[in-house]
Amino acid sequence: MSELLHFSEHTLQEVALGFMALVYTTRIAWFLRFKAGGERQASTGTPKRTTPKRGILYSWANVAMPWAMESTRRQYLIYAQFVIFHLGVTAAIGLSFVIPYWPHLLESQTLVLILQIIIGAAFLVGVIRIFRRVGNNYMRAISSPDDYFSLLLLTVWFFFATLAVPNNTSGGEWHLLTYFILTAFFLIYVPFSKISHYLYYPFTRYYLGKTMGHRGVYPVQRG
Amino acid sequence: MSEQTTTRSHKAEQVLERMGQKLNRQMVGSLLACVHCGMCTESCHYVLANPGDPTYAPAYKGDLIRKLFKRHFDWTGRVAPWWVKAGSVWSDEELEELKDTVFGKCTNCRRCTLNCPMGVDLATFNRMARGLLVSVGVMPEGVAVVSKDQWEIGNQMGVLKEDYLDTLEWMAEEMQDDLDDPTADIPIDQTDCEVVYSINPREVKYDPRSIADAAKIFHAAGESWTMASEGWDMTNFGLFSGDDDLGGSVAQRLYEKVNELRGKTLVISECGHGFRSTRCEGPNWAKFDVPFVMESSIFTMLRYIKEGRIKVDKSKNSRPVTYHDSCNMARSCGLYEEPRELLELVCSDFREMTPNRAENYCCTGGGGAMSMSEYTPRRLKSGIIKANQLKDTGAEIVVTSCHNCVDGLTDVIRHYELRIEVTQLVNLVANALVLEPKSETVADDASKEVMPGLA
Repeated sequence: MSELLHFSEHTLQEVALGFMALVYTTRIAWFLRFKAGGERQASTGTPKRTTPKRGILYSWANVAMPWAMESTRRQYLIYAQFVIFHLGVTAAIGLSFVIPYWPHLLESQTLVLILQIIIGAAFLVGVIRIFRRVGNNYMRAISSPDDYFSLLLLTVWFFFATLAVPNNTSGGEWHLLTYFILTAFFLIYVPFSKISHYLYYPFTRYYLGKTMGHRGVYPVQRG
Repeated sequence: MSEQTTTRSHKAEQVLERMGQKLNRQMVGSLLACVHCGMCTESCHYVLANPGDPTYAPAYKGDLIRKLFKRHFDWTGRVAPWWVKAGSVWSDEELEELKDTVFGKCTNCRRCTLNCPMGVDLATFNRMARGLLVSVGVMPEGVAVVSKDQWEIGNQMGVLKEDYLDTLEWMAEEMQDDLDDPTADIPIDQTDCEVVYSINPREVKYDPRSIADAAKIFHAAGESWTMASEGWDMTNFGLFSGDDDLGGSVAQRLYEKVNELRGKTLVISECGHGFRSTRCEGPNWAKFDVPFVMESSIFTMLRYIKEGRIKVDKSKNSRPVTYHDSCNMARSCGLYEEPRELLELVCSDFREMTPNRAENYCCTGGGGAMSMSEYTPRRLKSGIIKANQLKDTGAEIVVTSCHNCVDGLTDVIRHYELRIEVTQLVNLVANALVLEPKSETVADDASKEVMPGLA
């Protein structure tokens, strides 16, 4: 392993992670400075079925319940893409820890194959998403340069992550180097981009769930 | 929007300054969390009725407000505005453009909120944007007129006290004739009653029958009830205009009247936004801890039947009926099972429309749209979704528990030439009432005098 690759796998990642943690902490502190609105009124709905607590749990779990929302029920293929894409993100991030710290795990050809399938599928979904964002006029109308760039960045990252999975340098280090440099860039860029949505997700969903639970809407009951 | 303009208009300046004061954590979360995934697009009835026009997409509409937040309150938009589509407002014309969207392209129905995977509550910050515009006088003419009436006269239709009391007297006489019972009455300003009944001024002006029907039900149930001579309007235009001060003032007027009359329960007649404003939002706007029970008349009527205080015969309502869920009741207050329970008791042929409950589509009249005539063609065009929903049920009558929905549905039905009547639960319950012969009623009343509290 070259010194450059070693630096990319360790020091670069640690610095990038530290930077991301710092920015995220600042970001959350800023967010929490806004006062949360409360509800004075007695709850509506059926207390046995809907409470703020149930509402919060339902709201958080919503992402794993495609049947719960009409949008995910009807657009089930897009939901499936969402699942694959985010599994890919998880796997590719996990890979950036496995290669430097637990490389022996990748001696298992089964694990290598599974990771390559997941991340490879996420890459394909990324390509589909790029076409959708560019080709659909509704998507174009709501897209910002950050939306395009973030998607492109992740798709390219998936591509190199797929190549990096076997952790094999016999043909050269360029694919591993590119993957780790992209990962570091990704970690630094994320807090400034839409990719940081997962940081807000628990909060947004918490407050919506609390309100909707208090008001008897969550969990949604369908007829 | 051009940022080359050197000076910002006074109104634009005020809007931005007040936005900072209005933002709370829930709103900021919603403004930050949108990932532009587009999943909300097809949840909006405006989008479905205007295929190919992205300006109706919830995320697009939300971005018109979000860009202000990003440009002025979020660092990403401050550092690199073009990268995240952040922007500002500079002129009054731009505020007018924003008005066209927040008032004219969204009924705040909250359908997109429930369909957003991230939990972005567009309806809440759309209402905030309305409030900001209203605070600088940028609003549809109808919103200004109705708000003024509610501020100054105390009800949103400008009904004068004399006309209101005359109508109640007239309805009481009609009820006495109808029931052949001179004791049937609409009590005014009685203290220490179990129920204080609040209504929508539309009932006084256009639908007094619903007041008479409610009175008939209270009378049949032997309820101790009253209406207030003032502070009787449970509607609240503050919900639509986004003006929390108006919202709080109107709600407090109602709460204080109930307190003054020492009423135990405030019963809110069938009105989606009135129920939501009075029951759910009012205490927050007014910062008032309500010491009495507040309930929709749907609960009251259902309770009377369950307790055997009134008897109903469902065969009296035999025509096929469907139910339209008001957005404010279903998606903001979780009130959707009780109306169905009641319908099953008073109608013999109830059919669900699809989708229903919290997934129902707006009648097109939500968010105060009925008072914004400049957007009527747009509203009626979007009504095709509701028209198709209604048609598919094969029902002859559509029941709703909201006066705005009555008007919205009536417009849609007329425009799309459907043969469907619109009515409310109170009308069906009153029609299904099985009244005791007069002599027995009098005897019952006499026994009540001997043993108060049994009723």
